[in-house]
Amino acid sequence: MDWEAQLKLQAYLDGELPEAERRRLEATLAQGGQSSLLLAELRQTREALAGFEKEIQMPESREFFWSKIEREIRRQESPARVPAPVSWAARLRRLLVPASTVALLAIAGFLTIRNDGSSLLPGGTEMETALTDTGAFTYRDYSAGTTLVWLSYPAENEPDDDEDAVTLQ
Amino acid sequence: MTENNHSSADDPALVRAAQQGDMEAFEELVGRHRDKIFARAYSMMRNEEEAIDLSQEAWVKGWQRLRQFQGEASFGTWMTRIVINLCLDQIRRQKRHRTESIEELDEASGGVERQMPVVIVNPTSGLERAELRQRIDRALGQLSYEHRTVLVLHEFEEMEYKEIARTMGCSIGTVMSRLFYARRKLAALLADLKKQD
Repeated sequence: MDWEAQLKLQAYLDGELPEAERRRLEATLAQGGQSSLLLAELRQTREALAGFEKEIQMPESREFFWSKIEREIRRQESPARVPAPVSWAARLRRLLVPASTVALLAIAGFLTIRNDGSSLLPGGTEMETALTDTGAFTYRDYSAGTTLVWLSYPAENEPDDDEDAVTLQ
Repeated sequence: MTENNHSSADDPALVRAAQQGDMEAFEELVGRHRDKIFARAYSMMRNEEEAIDLSQEAWVKGWQRLRQFQGEASFGTWMTRIVINLCLDQIRRQKRHRTESIEELDEASGGVERQMPVVIVNPTSGLERAELRQRIDRALGQLSYEHRTVLVLHEFEEMEYKEIARTMGCSIGTVMSRLFYARRKLAALLADLKKQD
């Protein structure tokens, strides 16, 4: 029996063969032989499987199984937790807190420096910061007659060089 | 609908109540069809834990999609299709992580089923139902996923060739070939089990 004939035999068993082919095959089957034996085997297998699933039972009790399903349904139906929207007042507070801290530190630093030129620092030294240009600091040592000016970035309209500190005698 | 009404109501009435959000009606439907849904998952997966998880997932999906159920088929059939699709998804995921089985290689290289001798004596005759079930269980477990799935969809779900082909995403020729192999292999396995006794 060739492969096609075997598959046709199966299709015949499953009722999937067109009418004309079914009649031709029945004529062949009437003569007996290998095709009849194969058909009998296929039929036996099909009959053995009949009703097989009906005897399979869920091993978990109805109550326990349902409790798991119900819990999962409720879990999936509960709204997803999204972060609460941030109010404008809260956003403003977030900005003001660090800003006011910086401002307080700047005032505290400013108050440590006397306006009359004397310094709170020991050894007759003085440190100044210009509020208009917070990137520049000046250190003046009267005893040594030295003044140091720190520039944290190149000043505007000046050539850009790598010197961060300029020493004035 | 009261609890007493639930147990006496038919499936369509329970479905309508469940579609309105009546969870107790749905619980009754689960109670009625849970064995069938589990059996289908177990036939396809051959693993009890996996079958329980997949049938549970099918019921959760069933609840979520209940409004889509229009009653073209019975509720049991509709639920069975959900669990079959979940099993097929799971099989596809597992297939990505394993190599081809010997059966698949046989199929690809021409198929040993063409040369198998015909089992003349019925290997299941004279067996008690429980023993027969046990033997079929063992034999089904020795088939590859592909062959078992085709067999389950055809024999238990009573799908036609073209429907199986659509569900599994393969040709009708492949379905016929796999089904033929699965049946012949099963017959040979059952005969072997009989000889061992």
